[in-house]
Amino acid sequence: MKTPALQVDDIRSGYGHKDVLHGISFELSAGEVLGVAGPNGSGKSTLLRALTGLIPLRAGCVQIEGRNLDSLGARERARLCAVQPQIEIPPFDYSARDFVLLGRHPHRALLGAADANDWRATDRAMELVGIGGLAGRGIRSLSTGEWQRALLARALAQETPLIFLDEPAAHLDPGHRHAIHTLLRRLAHEDGRAILCVSHDLDLAAEFCDRLMLLQTGSILALGTPGDVMREEILQNLFHCAALRVVTNPYTGRPGAVFAP
Amino acid sequence: MNSAARLILLGLSAVALMIAAVCIGPTSLLDFSRLVELMRSGPPSPELQRASIVLWELRAPRVLLAAAAGANLALGGLLLQAIFRNPLAEPYLLGLSSGGALGAVLALAAGITSPTGPALAGSLAMAGIILLLCRRVASDLPSLLLAGVALGALAQAFVTAIILRFDPSALRGILFWLMGSFAGQGWSATALVFPVALVGLILSLLLHRPLDLLALGGEAAHHLGVRVRAMQIAGIALASALAAVTVAACGAIGFVGLMAPHLARRIIAAPHAASIPGSVLIGIMLTVGSDLIARTLLVGVELPVGIVTSALGCIFFLALLRQKR
Repeated sequence: MKTPALQVDDIRSGYGHKDVLHGISFELSAGEVLGVAGPNGSGKSTLLRALTGLIPLRAGCVQIEGRNLDSLGARERARLCAVQPQIEIPPFDYSARDFVLLGRHPHRALLGAADANDWRATDRAMELVGIGGLAGRGIRSLSTGEWQRALLARALAQETPLIFLDEPAAHLDPGHRHAIHTLLRRLAHEDGRAILCVSHDLDLAAEFCDRLMLLQTGSILALGTPGDVMREEILQNLFHCAALRVVTNPYTGRPGAVFAP
Repeated sequence: MNSAARLILLGLSAVALMIAAVCIGPTSLLDFSRLVELMRSGPPSPELQRASIVLWELRAPRVLLAAAAGANLALGGLLLQAIFRNPLAEPYLLGLSSGGALGAVLALAAGITSPTGPALAGSLAMAGIILLLCRRVASDLPSLLLAGVALGALAQAFVTAIILRFDPSALRGILFWLMGSFAGQGWSATALVFPVALVGLILSLLLHRPLDLLALGGEAAHHLGVRVRAMQIAGIALASALAAVTVAACGAIGFVGLMAPHLARRIIAAPHAASIPGSVLIGIMLTVGSDLIARTLLVGVELPVGIVTSALGCIFFLALLRQKR
């Protein structure tokens, strides 16, 4: 059996004296998009922080491509998993291409200019997210949608088998949301990347992810295909909202949530 | 104009200012034709000997000392500002300078006449305490900055308490440590500070890319493969060492570490590969220029250079305020 891109075994983590994650286990394979959803405070962000080594695990084990997260050096880790942050304030007005090139840091020596391989990965990442034409533009002049794509391109330039995304479509209009999620699916299905995407937008997650994980107060409430997970009794209970109903998208056959009057 | 051209322009200005600072003073060396004439006219005249002494034993080491101190303070400020992601961070504010002043004043009170060593020890002790705190509360940089400010204030209070017990005639020597000065140091201080500045510059340039990534934020740097805590500790240690050596040799000179990176960001506005040399050049111009003002503004009286840098700092930040309005 092939080693999963991400294997999470019964992890606990949190801040101060308080555990936020109470034993979470799952696997994510190459070529798969996993969506993580849940109400505010359910532990989505904490899960992301624990999986990327930002906060220590108190129990359990995270393996990326079969390697133990705790034993990875910083640069090694950044060659195995990349993160698209939700927000970031650029400190300088980099050109878009120079900004995306920052993603090559874990592959580059401490000194010296970027080599042909770095530029190839940078340009490819920009092409993939559709900002290839903006290479020379200053990042401060980018629109919100372009900026979000530049952040994604930087993560893609790391050329990692595993990519984490934190609300990749927050603040985007429907057109851009659709474009980003189509891209994520292409990256997984055509490029073979494993993608874990934290999302507030349940419908979008159900529409585009191969599997969906619902978190409730730091534990997994449901994990499976969108069809398995998006059930009215589960969602009503999770979000404390009796008006939630699940309908089927007539075009894709995927489930979505709407409100009953 | 791109940043390389701006850097070259800054470099030329810094060299020009240093040459001017060497030539200007009570014994003017500006009349080059007269100096050439003196050199050609056979056996060395007393006038030429005097000029030679002024040049090689007074001005050149002094200007180089000022330049190296400016470079160190600018680098220290730049490193701390990048690490704390706070434009107000600088060695002076972190209490490193006050620690040095406390060491010097304690030594003077104990009757030691040349307190360079104790000043160094004072600054390094302060840096050690801050690094120790950093290990304990590494994730919370703003509190660390506040801790530095508190420690600095405490050191300052001790300094004042000790000064009160001094004989009024000894106060002049103390003023040197509190306000900073490049006067009468000869080559020994330059030989201490200059190599440190060079090493500091090289180390900072080696770290330029991790510093760029840290400027994006600790989490982004982590995800891009930077060992964030190790970088923070290394940066604070390097900035502390640079500041400690500078305080030990020249006293506590304020505002240069704050102003130089600010100005560099405005003039260069580029990642650290360019803003590190930019800050250093601006730091050099600030200290060399301030020293020139300090020794030529009033005839017969030399001001402590810290007075001039503080005044420049005040003007600088008022100008910033005006622009922000």
